[in-house]
Amino acid sequence: MTRSFRRSLAQGRTYLLVILLLLFVGFPLFWMLMSSGKLNSDIVRIPPVWIPFLPTLEHYEELFEVTQFGRWFLNSLLVCSLSTISAVTLGVLGAYSLSRLKVRGKELLGRSVLLAYMFPGVLLVIPLVLVFTRIGLMNSQVGLALAYLTFALPFVMWVMRDFLASVPVDLEEAAMIDGASRLEALRDVVLPQAFPGIIATGIFAFLFAWNEYLFAAVLVRSHDLQTLPPAMANFASAMDTRWGLIMAASTLATLPMAIAFAFVQKYLITGLGAGGVKG
Amino acid sequence: MARVRFDKLRKVFGRDVVAVAGLDFEIADGSFVSLVGPSGCGKSTALRMIAGLEEPTSGRLLFDDRDVTGLEPRDRDIAMVFQSYALYPHMSVRENLEYGLRKRRVPAAERDQRVARIAAMLHIEPFLERKPRQLSGGQRQRVALGRALIRDPEVFLLDEPLSNLDAKLRVHMRAELATLHARVGTTMIYVTHDQLEAMTLSDRIVVMSQGVVQQIGPPEEVYARPANRFVAEFIGTPSMNLMAGELDEEGGKARFRRNGVTVPLPDSLTAAADARQVLLGIRPEDIRITADSGEATIPAQVAVAELAGAEKYIYLDVAGMQIIARTDADSPVRGGDRVGLHFRPDRLHLFDGTSDEAKAIRAG
Repeated sequence: MTRSFRRSLAQGRTYLLVILLLLFVGFPLFWMLMSSGKLNSDIVRIPPVWIPFLPTLEHYEELFEVTQFGRWFLNSLLVCSLSTISAVTLGVLGAYSLSRLKVRGKELLGRSVLLAYMFPGVLLVIPLVLVFTRIGLMNSQVGLALAYLTFALPFVMWVMRDFLASVPVDLEEAAMIDGASRLEALRDVVLPQAFPGIIATGIFAFLFAWNEYLFAAVLVRSHDLQTLPPAMANFASAMDTRWGLIMAASTLATLPMAIAFAFVQKYLITGLGAGGVKG
Repeated sequence: MARVRFDKLRKVFGRDVVAVAGLDFEIADGSFVSLVGPSGCGKSTALRMIAGLEEPTSGRLLFDDRDVTGLEPRDRDIAMVFQSYALYPHMSVRENLEYGLRKRRVPAAERDQRVARIAAMLHIEPFLERKPRQLSGGQRQRVALGRALIRDPEVFLLDEPLSNLDAKLRVHMRAELATLHARVGTTMIYVTHDQLEAMTLSDRIVVMSQGVVQQIGPPEEVYARPANRFVAEFIGTPSMNLMAGELDEEGGKARFRRNGVTVPLPDSLTAAADARQVLLGIRPEDIRITADSGEATIPAQVAVAELAGAEKYIYLDVAGMQIIARTDADSPVRGGDRVGLHFRPDRLHLFDGTSDEAKAIRAG
């Protein structure tokens, strides 16, 4: 075997693996998109209808005309934005403190952040209900956003701590000598360096909240205030599962995240890379 | 411009890591002073305390008569050049230069004027709109200097600013720094581990070791009259030859003895000497090599003769000790030769004991 032949063989193997992986990940998305455009009778037909001959928009129409999909979508957007913005703001400040300030027990604090992140949500939801009931945050979007901070904040802090640690201390010291306060140095010099990291962590924090079902289902009961995941779950019941509706709603719910990822792909790659490899 | 006074300034890290054990001296207004010493000697910590980046454990720091000990860096009116240059990567050269002025609310017209002046002075006009990563090491260095100079600070701090440059550029920038100081006249405090930089640039050198000042003085003095063993060995390349031995007396004349080798000492040195165990020091250039091992010379054997361009380093074996002499490049001495050495009597150094802190013994 010549060397170039061996190399192209190895390359071919890599491509084959990537294609298989892509099929594995992409097929459910494809199926979702196709099913959302099929007539109800075609969705469950065997042998399956792969691509609808005459796509229909009836499920989408029903979504907006019969259900409150638009409202739930906005609810989701609101809650997730609120929790993400708070998590990033507080998390970056917290991570900065953990990476820079000389505080006693800093390491322990840092580790307990990770512990908080690993704590299963199921265990948190009952205490949260008790506390929220007492302080009147049950059935409130602010309350739900606050609940999302229980995982979003530790996540942001944990990831951003490494990002900020990789920004040279010299830079902010130079800024402080140049006349900046510590917060100004953070804003003017450190954050611009950590920007890709902030975008990447922000997107992930948003994604977690966007997909979150348990807290959303338990903490917000009223139909008007619900977010997408629990609302969409109502499309499936013991008696009747509205596959067309579920597929159409899922397609629309996936859209904002898909668009967001497409736009910030560049940051995501540099961001995650910078976090993984220090210096 | 300002005078900088250290008043028993001390820094302890954690419970008992003493970085700076108490600085107590003054830096004259407009002078160029180097803090020099091996890594970990406390020189950088001292500089960072002047900058306000490190809080002293005790003691005070004064600019002229203003106590700045508790002030934030931005309230001290200092500028600093970092070893890494610490240029803001996302800002253009112009924005880097302007940043300090913006923070101090200098009006736009004056900012432009100052940037133009500094850029002309440091020859960085062509790069003003570039980002730091598009510059070479030397250009970055200039921008870092410019960012410090533009604010016209009272005190100018430099933390090993030349150590990231290649050898040739370093010599060049060293000369530029000297010119610059002559031109702006600001008090400059320079930290380096390179004794040659310290020697060539400074009005005064502060030699530090393990958080303690070993000697303060003009370069000539620190070189010619090192206060103790540490300074003697640290300043000068190749470093001073040191020989451990005993003080002895013969016919009213003091002499140094070791393994049967004796070196007569000038009266000026022995008057103050009462220690028996001493170190005798002689710099490589103060040794003369003669072909014959006559009465007044010290017998030695040449191990290696090393040509270093304009001069030669001769490695010699004297009574089981290796010492180095510096001669002209055309010296005929070769490896294996038996020679006689003559130490310049007025250039001999005598140290009391053999520890690092062994004090120089001086005439009354």
